[in-house]
Amino acid sequence: MLLSRLAFWIAATLFVLALPFVLGEGYHLHLLIMATIFAIVAAGLDITVGYAGLLSLGHAAFFGIGAYTSALLFLHFGIPMWGGMISGAVLAGLAAFLLGFLILNVRGHRFVISTVAFAEIMRLVANNWTDVTRGQRGLPGILPPVIDLPWGGSINFVSKTAFFYLAVAIAVICIGIMWRIAHSPLGDAFIALRENEHLAESVGIDARRHAIQAFTIGGFFAGIGGSLYAHYVSFVGPDLLNFSYTTIFLVMVVTGGMGTIIGPVVGALVFTLLPEYLRIAEGYRLIIFGGILVLVMLFLSNGMIDIWTRLRNWLRRMSPTTGAQSTDA
Amino acid sequence: MRAKSLVFGTLLVATMLMPHAFAHADDLLVGAVYPITGPVAYDGQTEWNGAKLAVEEVNAKGGVFGKTLKLDVQDGACNPAQSVSAAEKLIAQTKVASLLGAFCSSSTGAVMEVAKKYGIPLVTGVSTAQDLTKQGNKWFFRATDTSALLGQAFAPAIAKLGAKRVAFLVVNDDWGRAVASSYGEALKKQGSEIVDTEIFSRDDTDLFPYITKIKAQKPDVVISAANTQLAANVTKQLRQLGVTATLMGEGAFTSESYLKLVGSLGKDVIGLAEYVPAIDNAANKAFVKSYKEHYNEEPSKFSAAAYQAVHILADAINRARSTDPEEIRQALLKTDYNGLTGNFKFASNGQAYNFDVYMAKNTDSGPAIVGKGSIPNSE
Amino acid sequence: MLDYFPQYLFNGLLIGTNYALIAMGLTVIFGLMNIANFAHGQFYMLGGFIAYQLTTTLGLNFFAALVVSVVVVTGLGILLERTIFKRLRNKPLISSVLVTIGLAILIENLALVLWGARPEAIPNPFPLTPVQIGPIFTTQPRLFAVVVTLAAIVIIHLLLHYTRAGKAVRATFQQQEAAALVGIDIELIYSITFGIGAGLAALGGVLLGTIFYVNPTMGDVATLKAFVVTILGGMGSFPGAIVGGLLLGIAESFGTLVSSAYKDAIGYVLVILVLLYRPQGLFGKA
Repeated sequence: MLLSRLAFWIAATLFVLALPFVLGEGYHLHLLIMATIFAIVAAGLDITVGYAGLLSLGHAAFFGIGAYTSALLFLHFGIPMWGGMISGAVLAGLAAFLLGFLILNVRGHRFVISTVAFAEIMRLVANNWTDVTRGQRGLPGILPPVIDLPWGGSINFVSKTAFFYLAVAIAVICIGIMWRIAHSPLGDAFIALRENEHLAESVGIDARRHAIQAFTIGGFFAGIGGSLYAHYVSFVGPDLLNFSYTTIFLVMVVTGGMGTIIGPVVGALVFTLLPEYLRIAEGYRLIIFGGILVLVMLFLSNGMIDIWTRLRNWLRRMSPTTGAQSTDA
Repeated sequence: MRAKSLVFGTLLVATMLMPHAFAHADDLLVGAVYPITGPVAYDGQTEWNGAKLAVEEVNAKGGVFGKTLKLDVQDGACNPAQSVSAAEKLIAQTKVASLLGAFCSSSTGAVMEVAKKYGIPLVTGVSTAQDLTKQGNKWFFRATDTSALLGQAFAPAIAKLGAKRVAFLVVNDDWGRAVASSYGEALKKQGSEIVDTEIFSRDDTDLFPYITKIKAQKPDVVISAANTQLAANVTKQLRQLGVTATLMGEGAFTSESYLKLVGSLGKDVIGLAEYVPAIDNAANKAFVKSYKEHYNEEPSKFSAAAYQAVHILADAINRARSTDPEEIRQALLKTDYNGLTGNFKFASNGQAYNFDVYMAKNTDSGPAIVGKGSIPNSE
Repeated sequence: MLDYFPQYLFNGLLIGTNYALIAMGLTVIFGLMNIANFAHGQFYMLGGFIAYQLTTTLGLNFFAALVVSVVVVTGLGILLERTIFKRLRNKPLISSVLVTIGLAILIENLALVLWGARPEAIPNPFPLTPVQIGPIFTTQPRLFAVVVTLAAIVIIHLLLHYTRAGKAVRATFQQQEAAALVGIDIELIYSITFGIGAGLAALGGVLLGTIFYVNPTMGDVATLKAFVVTILGGMGSFPGAIVGGLLLGIAESFGTLVSSAYKDAIGYVLVILVLLYRPQGLFGKA
């Protein structure tokens, strides 16, 4: 069992390492990098929405805060991505913490709308505080980091291959952390909060405190994604705080499979590639996208992970050689 | 769970290696990032129409050093991230020799970074954000003006019309603010007083609150910056609130779609434009005729902008006689092209100069040119 | 500046009535059926475009087009309720949010394909000249809009409180099971209520398209405003939607005196304040 798991991870690692060479330094690798960045954001949102059940409709704001922070630190103080990313994540997390602290006395729709309101306010600030953010002109020229090697030479992450590996490495670390959180007592508390808040409170789980924590974690990792985005695309603008980004993040989480961490990662992959592949449909692209969203949410609301799980269970049931019959959904 | 990820992943990689669109050996591929969908979709489509016309003409005259010019257009939707993806696709996958686009200044700004990364020339006919030519990006060429340059070009003529008290009613973005600040400065030098500046959001339909403030200051000229729908709103509501000042505007104040929306209220409004269909020279007359035949409406300024940009690019590639990006870039720098609105040359920072800009007043028989300016060399 | 106070007030009231109209529909859907309908603004947009289509291609009289458009969208609302929204009723909030967002994207882009991205004005018999009432300038379309909105409010009120159908609606929303027990067709009530909510939004769209223009993206902002007003006024409360809408309109109107760029932020800040200090809104139940 352990051996086959190890074999899987080795195979997966080799597969990922080989990708840039198979795909070349082009468009497809670009999409994979974007997918990786969004995967980090989606996984973080999963903690907030999937585990703790807090429907945050303002996630783009945290993504944007991470991106702008990292960009401004680079452009004004020359701070490379490493510092920018941590700062961006901390600021985004802090914003989430403050908002959560302020607003998490209420839950349900009221919480939802207040996250919308917050994100819109942030977007207006990004658009209008032109002294700092330059408004619509945006912040161009944010460079990826360069590492000087001790034996001479350097790795410049402007190369897509290098940035891809970097992004994947960061994603693995972040998702690993989130996985740990999800499978820890903290994660259990989040689930308890989501499932039945009153019951959770009655066994001593401080609902509000945990809600704030889940919200902050989501914001933190959105900030990391934002910073990566800034240093990869080299351009940050107020559009990053558009509701459309929040929507796509949510779509990734929900269609991938809420409360699984891995599901949203898959969701990120699919929903980064899908709109791009729908380019052939031009004017109909977004109609198809909207339609897919409606259908998936109505009929596949447990996400794609659910399909696989059900498929696997069905296969197991069909096979006469398996011992125990699985009955879980 | 693990097997699933692998299978899924492999499937995805397989679909990613989709067959590339194959082009003939004697095609010269140029890419364009236009906003086909999104908030400025209508303008983006007119832009595309103008580009298509130019491509046809180039090929009718023998193409670009013998090769057929092919324009691959991808949707940027006036969104920076999408425009970047579109640019990546065009450069890395379709392997275009050059890029055009991306209409909205923030999208163009993002695409500029991609152009720089790959070392591919990018020509825009539309984006007027001053900032773009100040970044030292040698791959970027702007075949149009900026509001600062327009302000300098027009200020004397505006002052002559009697602009003692000037108010601004502009849309809340870089362009709108640039109009307010650059015209404001230029007009102050001519002795005008700026009595009020109101900035409205693109989503605002009801401008009465802003106009009420302007009215209180009793301006004799109101200068605006807005496109089609917003321009129509500005015009209509200004008059409905009883403001009788002369209205001048950058943007869509003389376009066909604007006039359709405002009807008689558009009379005597003055457009400060890079292009009006009424421009009286042989090249433009032919262009307008051809455009009308193809698309059943008059060309918009974006149609003309794309048309000229494509021609300028094709002209440069023709002179370079090569698809090498650096050679095309060098050829662009040496541009001396006569288009619909005069002569185009590029300064070393990529900013075009020497071409004409027009003040057009809406009369009963359509927009009539009442003034002209020439874009100075900014260096 | 103070001599313009009445003008600002009037401007605010006018835009406020439009907000009220679209919020009235949403407050019912959101507050009573518990569905966060992010596609609500699309009914608004469709109302405007259908009226446009009727007056231009079919040459229908403006007032007839207004009525027909509202009826059509009401019907569409009922259809959507029966097919899609019914399934969302007992699902978690996130389902209704994402389905309606998907619906919004679909409808908006369908409209873009059908009608193009160009803004259009709805042909109407009102002259373009201003109307002056004392120190206040306004236009006939705007006055018409106010009158129609007030009429709609009164009609809804009368229907709800003085007809059997209205009582049935109120009963259903107060105590669903009891209502079913006394023989009220719950499904019908839900469908009709949803439909009327959509119809009210459509009315707002037609009125706005008459004063200004219609374009396929006008639904997005409308949805946001509707949510803001619904929260401010209290979910599920008609008076709340009306008063909330008027208040927001006036606040925004005077807000432009302070800062035109951040005017929209007023509503959002108010929302957060309300949610902090009076989560049930002005008229909602605690």
